[in-house]
Amino acid sequence: MIRIILFTIALLLPGLAHAEVRVVATLADYGAMVREIGGDRVKVDVLAPHSIDPHYVDPRPNLILKLNKADLLIENGLELESAWLDPLVKQARNPKINHGSDGHFIAAEFATLIDVPAGKIERSEGDVHPGGNPHFYCDPTSAISISHALRDKLTKLDPAGAETYRANTKRFTQELWRFAQAQAIRFAKLPAERRRVVTYHKSLGYLLRWLQIEEVATIEPKPGIPPNPRHVASVLQTMKSKHARVIVQEEYYPRKTSETLAQLGVGEVVVLPAASDFGGGEGYIQHLSEMTEALYAALSED
Amino acid sequence: MKRHRRVAAACAAWIVVGTSGLAVGEEPTTAPSEPPPATSPEIPVPAEPTTDDVSDDELRALEAALQADAEQPSSAREASDDGAAPTVASTSGPAGANQVALDIAFILDVAGAWFSAEEPLQLGAHDPTVTGFNFQQLELSLGASVDPYFRFDANLVFALFGVEIEEAYASTLSLPANLKVRAGLFLTQFGRLNATHPHSWSFVDQPIVNGKFFGSEGSRGLGTELSWLSPLPWYVDVIGAVTMADGECCARSFYGGDNLGVRTPADLLYTTRVEQFFPLSDTLSLLWGISAQFGPNSTGLGNRSEIYGTDLYLRYRPLQSTSRMALSLQLEGMLRTRQVPDDVLQDFGGRGELVWSMTPRWETGARYELVTGVEDDPLDPDWVGERQRISAQATFYPSHFSRLRLQPSVDLPSWFEDPVYAVMLSLEVLVGAHGAHEY
Repeated sequence: MIRIILFTIALLLPGLAHAEVRVVATLADYGAMVREIGGDRVKVDVLAPHSIDPHYVDPRPNLILKLNKADLLIENGLELESAWLDPLVKQARNPKINHGSDGHFIAAEFATLIDVPAGKIERSEGDVHPGGNPHFYCDPTSAISISHALRDKLTKLDPAGAETYRANTKRFTQELWRFAQAQAIRFAKLPAERRRVVTYHKSLGYLLRWLQIEEVATIEPKPGIPPNPRHVASVLQTMKSKHARVIVQEEYYPRKTSETLAQLGVGEVVVLPAASDFGGGEGYIQHLSEMTEALYAALSED
Repeated sequence: MKRHRRVAAACAAWIVVGTSGLAVGEEPTTAPSEPPPATSPEIPVPAEPTTDDVSDDELRALEAALQADAEQPSSAREASDDGAAPTVASTSGPAGANQVALDIAFILDVAGAWFSAEEPLQLGAHDPTVTGFNFQQLELSLGASVDPYFRFDANLVFALFGVEIEEAYASTLSLPANLKVRAGLFLTQFGRLNATHPHSWSFVDQPIVNGKFFGSEGSRGLGTELSWLSPLPWYVDVIGAVTMADGECCARSFYGGDNLGVRTPADLLYTTRVEQFFPLSDTLSLLWGISAQFGPNSTGLGNRSEIYGTDLYLRYRPLQSTSRMALSLQLEGMLRTRQVPDDVLQDFGGRGELVWSMTPRWETGARYELVTGVEDDPLDPDWVGERQRISAQATFYPSHFSRLRLQPSVDLPSWFEDPVYAVMLSLEVLVGAHGAHEY
């Protein structure tokens, strides 16, 4: 009788028959990275649509099903997904991916962080993440460390794939390193007064650090707090005094204020794709390259 | 009634069989991940390990070793643990930055209100009820993992005259076969709104039907709940709970304020729910639930009450949006039957809510409610006809941690001469951990 029930359950779970590692990544960038490293040995699902602000993802219950069958969950960490991920994991009833289990991977543990608050934080400072700036998914240096850690994690979960993971990681990180170096050199050749931008949210800090671009102001007065007229006026003043012409922001932030500022400050708004188009097959380096090309074009324009 | 119980028993039996079957099937993957303890008996090592698979012999040896360790006296176990790093040291990080996670939050709700009647029919325990300033509640919410097996959650509510334990329960973290158990005091998962707290409601006050059928605090009880995520290709969650049937605040259609004790399993309150989710497209989704509650009432020996409900939640959120806009429609209906001496009473209640989040800061919505009444109702003798209420709201969120909500409404109880008009302005502030919102 038990055999019959087990057989029926096995039929209901088509995924069980495969030996591949089932990976769920909260963000498309991690999905793209782990796809590079795992190749055919992993089946990757991504929870957050790539065009949505990762702070505010709808915790749709169909995501629970993906988590339920996962061998590995990759999350960004530093409370970036805290508004939506925990209830999904709780509902998933999958001990493999609970906090502290082998199948729970927190990328933040391997990133080189910036904006780590020195002391106690107050919410009056806005939506400051106590552990540091969580938007390191566009930082190639962190992406390389994260890829190495992902290689080790996959090897632990699937020892038979060790060689594949090693070779793929080597190829991917080398390519990423070369790309990151080339872009850093290319941007460094721009005159310093051109390497100045205004951002919308404190979410591009890692990208700007990599490309040695100065962030002269943010349109949000404090993280997560929408702009007010007085602050926007001061941003305009800073743009003029520092000759910063480019306003750069991700696709999901409001554009009206930025466009008005760009008009008044005689500059332009560069809207960046926020994450790799995982569903469309875009790779991580391809995504970074899309960002750097858009930025370079705007900064080098006369 | 009997048929329901037979179906429930059959489901439970199937779940138990399924669990034992899966547990046996899963052991080979979980057992080897445990490092063999130092004091374990000899493990036979195959002469030439050709594959990574663990043989049956090895498995049996590991199981025997684990069993032997489990039977070891605790003093011996403590002695053998001495070499290991103490737990406290492993949780305090370099600069004391890492601490054992305990999420703590205080949520304060206060409101100014005006009602056109001296005694408005507000049913919720945390609703504004008088013209003037109202202290709705101060909620302390706590949550943390206990160990790899349990999670703890509690909601304590401070009112002006005391503290109330609204919820305090443990839930399992690592049961096999997609099962999860909660035990303690909890809000039952009847319908869409009941299991949630005012913090996540879209209107200032509790829906009328929840207040009339469940009580001022909603349906809540001391007991245990089993839920099962089905392996079907779409989301189907099956929930069954058994709780005490008493409590004026939280089981008023059943024993209510009279606690008649538990002599047989039929004296307990049973809540069941099946929830299904359909992602209609990337932007549109539908959640559909059906719920039922069965239990004894205190109007006479053997008299029973039953509540049946269904709820729909339709949500639209575009993927390409710089305003983070979303539009959601909620519909919920409940039918209640009660056996009373020489009669069976039947009434109905429901609500529809349309909420439009325009930007992260602004939201507006409208709600319509209808609840019927019956003659000679022992619980609500005045409630002889229909009661309708129409409310609208406009909400401003300065941040995720604060909220200002303005809500005008008109209440039309058929047994009142005049409608009751109301305007409420409620302020909510939250400090501490911001809990995530469920769908």
